[in-house]
Amino acid sequence: MSLRTIETSWVLDSDSIEQDTEELPPAAVLEPRRSLFAQLREIAVDELWVYRELVYQLTLRDVRIRYKQAVMGFAWAILMPALIIGAGTLVRYAMAYLSGTEIQLSAIAGMAVKALPWAFFVGAIGFATGSLVSNRPLLTKIYFPREVLPVSSTLAQTFDSSIGTLVLLLVLPLLGVTYGWTVLWVPYLMIVLFTFTLGTAMLLGCANLFFRDVKYVVQVLLTFGIFFTPVFFEPSMFGPTGSAVMMLNPLSPILEGLRLTVVEHHDLFRVLTVTGAGGDPVVVWRPWYLGYGTGIAVVMLLSGALIFHRFERVFAEYA
Amino acid sequence: MANASVEFNGVWKKFQRGELHDSLRDLLPAIARGLTRRRPPVSELKRDEFWAVRNVSFEVSPGETLGIIGPNGAGKSTILKLLTKILRPTLGDTYVPGRVGALIEVAAGFHPDLTGRENVYLQGAIMGMRQTEIAEKFDQIVEFAGLPQFIDTQVKRYSSGMNARLGFAIAAHLDPDVLIVDEVLAVGDYGFQKKAFGRIAEMALRSIPVVIVSHQLDRIAALCTKAILLDEGRVIKEGAPADCIATYIAGQETVNTEHEGPDAGLIRSLVLETPRSVETGGRLRARATGRGDGLSRNKLADRSVAFRVRELQGGNVLFQTGTGQYEILLPQAGEYEVALSLQMNVPAGLYALDSFVWDAEAMAISHWGPSLTIEVSDAVEFKGSVQMNPEIRLETQPGTDL
Repeated sequence: MSLRTIETSWVLDSDSIEQDTEELPPAAVLEPRRSLFAQLREIAVDELWVYRELVYQLTLRDVRIRYKQAVMGFAWAILMPALIIGAGTLVRYAMAYLSGTEIQLSAIAGMAVKALPWAFFVGAIGFATGSLVSNRPLLTKIYFPREVLPVSSTLAQTFDSSIGTLVLLLVLPLLGVTYGWTVLWVPYLMIVLFTFTLGTAMLLGCANLFFRDVKYVVQVLLTFGIFFTPVFFEPSMFGPTGSAVMMLNPLSPILEGLRLTVVEHHDLFRVLTVTGAGGDPVVVWRPWYLGYGTGIAVVMLLSGALIFHRFERVFAEYA
Repeated sequence: MANASVEFNGVWKKFQRGELHDSLRDLLPAIARGLTRRRPPVSELKRDEFWAVRNVSFEVSPGETLGIIGPNGAGKSTILKLLTKILRPTLGDTYVPGRVGALIEVAAGFHPDLTGRENVYLQGAIMGMRQTEIAEKFDQIVEFAGLPQFIDTQVKRYSSGMNARLGFAIAAHLDPDVLIVDEVLAVGDYGFQKKAFGRIAEMALRSIPVVIVSHQLDRIAALCTKAILLDEGRVIKEGAPADCIATYIAGQETVNTEHEGPDAGLIRSLVLETPRSVETGGRLRARATGRGDGLSRNKLADRSVAFRVRELQGGNVLFQTGTGQYEILLPQAGEYEVALSLQMNVPAGLYALDSFVWDAEAMAISHWGPSLTIEVSDAVEFKGSVQMNPEIRLETQPGTDL
């Protein structure tokens, strides 16, 4: 175990040691901040890798609790995506009716592909935001790297979503989807989604410990987030400018990327333009969206992890 | 990792009284305040802040067992949390090497909906054990907890005693580099407590640093090689466990002691002439000195320099006697000495020898003199509350083959 570190948060100022140490503490000077790289290494190696079995056990605990004494069993894992797809079909049906067209099977397939990652994001964030507060007894009584809590919450949700993914893989051909080579993009996009979700989860989990109303704010944002994220609709429906703005949502490149590669067989290194409702050409995909989505996800994870790590030492006092 | 010491160097820990700002609504005003005002250095106290631990330093080498004693609120729990790395010091360094085995809140990681078996793996992982290690020790853990038939039952169906026993059993099978014990001896029934105590003593022998926090002073005396006494976050005494315990007990009783009053001079000091630790049945000799100046002959006739022996833990008075019982009249002038000799026919443990002035007229204690702590050890173990100088020998017929 590589825990042999001196837990020093402050270094004594040698000049002030002479004073009456009985009543007055010595003046403190902040110890030099370690490099960000050293801190990230500490999080990844000393905390998560060394405690990987704890991550596994806590994930197992969260998964077990969900399925124990549950009537739905594993059906629970596909309930939420199925509801989202159902709601989306309803919305799309109304849109098709208004514009006098027929609802297309590929539109439903596209929603199905995006419903699952959205359900993953909502589930993981909802779950991880409360992960520190709900494990309060552990935080205040036993030492272990606190990073394992949001990580295992996110992993437990990953398990749920994996079941949903397997089911979806079987259902998609029924909706007329044929798998082309572009599905090779899917694992990459999933990793980007996981990265973004984990970073957000760490940030919000940490914030919720200090400010207990974060949970409620997050709930509201997640409930209405689906209207600002292209799940039911495609950004191209908003015209050239609207589409570009819609793609700024960090989740948009991931969700649209998944739809385009799985349903439309589009290679994400190439530009895709469609004809919009008004007859104008609308750019649906630009290769830099990929870089944008990846970049935001990486920045989110790094900042989430560093902020979490910085405040980790006082968690027990605020929990 | 083994053979490293636990070290605290000038450790200070600050806490805040009352509520910490808890909602986002409070964040903005707090930030605004923070920006407009000078930020005080960490070493200064802000409003509502206090030092829970002040300048505490100690070192526990492998093989040593440190006992931490003190009244409630003295900072014992905070020090334990600093030792287990749950809290970080505000100032100063703490150095705790390797895997910390903490016999504190041993069932904190249990989830009620999981079975005993699942919880053993979970709690073990939280304490830093490898899965293979848990699997290896699984049967021993279950056996130790005495729960083989309930191990596949959900923990929410356990009694609190079963819960605590299973938690202790897991913690007790961790091979720690540092052992920290907090009052867990109050786990389970009498039988389990004995087993738990035995296990702690066994773990303490493994030449690792051990820290024990307890209100059970006799346990501290029995297990520890040294002790510190805390009060209001400060170390007010460090040294031999019996010394610290004596200071602690004396400190707690100074509240009742009247140092002034007409009878205060009757007992000025109390000293031991024999070593403080005696074997059961051994003699203890003490000497009290005082002066009878300023008291009339009549009054002195009613006064008695008295002694009593009581159990340190629990406070049962076992024996009490005084000059009055022997019709000794205290002299009116000059210093006198009252010599006391007692045969300590009591079981091993910690005892207090108190001195006081008894006023036979008022039928009350008129002055408390000093107290001493006595440590009794048994040469030959026995059961019961009184040692009766037994003589046991085997008598056989001539020619019996031994």
